[in-house]
Amino acid sequence: MKKNILFVFLITMAFSACEKDDICLLPNTPNLILRFYDSTNPTEVKNVERVSVWADGKDTIASYKSVTLDSIVIPLHVNATETVYHFKMNSTSGNIADNKYNKITIKYTPEDVYVSRSCGYKTTFNDVSITSDNGWVRSFTPSTLITIDNETAAHVQIFH
Amino acid sequence: MAIGVAQEQEKDTITYKTPYGLRLGIDISKPILGLADSDFSGFEIVGDYRISKNLYIATELGYEKKTTIEDYTNSTAKGSYLKLGVNYNTYKNWLDMNNEVYLGFRYGFSAFDQTLNSYTSNTGSTYFPGELNTTASTTKGLHAHWTEFMIGLKAETFKNLFLGFSVSYKILLSIKDPDNFKTLYAPGFNRVFESKTGFGFNYTISYTIPFINK
Repeated sequence: MKKNILFVFLITMAFSACEKDDICLLPNTPNLILRFYDSTNPTEVKNVERVSVWADGKDTIASYKSVTLDSIVIPLHVNATETVYHFKMNSTSGNIADNKYNKITIKYTPEDVYVSRSCGYKTTFNDVSITSDNGWVRSFTPSTLITIDNETAAHVQIFH
Repeated sequence: MAIGVAQEQEKDTITYKTPYGLRLGIDISKPILGLADSDFSGFEIVGDYRISKNLYIATELGYEKKTTIEDYTNSTAKGSYLKLGVNYNTYKNWLDMNNEVYLGFRYGFSAFDQTLNSYTSNTGSTYFPGELNTTASTTKGLHAHWTEFMIGLKAETFKNLFLGFSVSYKILLSIKDPDNFKTLYAPGFNRVFESKTGFGFNYTISYTIPFINK
């Protein structure tokens, strides 16, 4: 009987020593997701060609260097209230003369939300407003303030 | 008339008496851990009172301050705790020896503050990494209640002087978390695991003040 109790005790300790809170598996700070659509046929997804993306004063994001795709996932600066991104695209050729530019400014109120021991805090973005300088981007939605607190769907639809 | 006196023979046994009294001591692991680990300081007073051959009412009273450093947070918990319960000695002593291998049960209560010293937002991004936020915020008046199962031993090394060791498995009954944060460490309970359980041990040196030998 005594041995049994000791055995159960040791087994319990052995198995509960490894905990899921040791590794962060929960979602952390969400990125901004942009999806590109055809401005003449707004329900159709349309690739942007040879697009490069960089934030104001920073290098081009390594994974977005002259690539062709229909959506872009970019981080926002969590310790600021504004992030400015530059999008360079070229739909005709690789020639510099054909490069088109667009600047998108994202303004927001960041909020740090506690997740767990191993994940720490994530930042969500409230009252997000987006402005574009009317380069190659014809229009975008939504025009209202949005909240970015997950990555389940695109936050912004860009028509070009 | 011959009278046959059948004198009843006394039983040939001697009952060995062991002391009943108040046993007081300290957990010597905490000051040692405090010296070895700059993120921890604490002390614990232990006491028990023998109420029958194998049963003791037992208590622990302590204070702890512990800084928990995680990947994205740095927090300090400090406060006091009280544990109250019983120990049941399962060890059959020889002669007048007075050692114990015991099973224990405790109810524990802890009142503490937790300070979030600094944190970094987990961006999962190297392009815009989170910056260290060092605005400390303290939440006062936190508390935890738990139950504790323990296994321990006590050995009498000199007359009435005991060395003891015990390990315990704790299950939280309730705990108060700070707003937009979590209690990562509760004094007396130690690290609060996601499953609301915890572990502990102590290494004690204690002395019995004998009241009576029974």
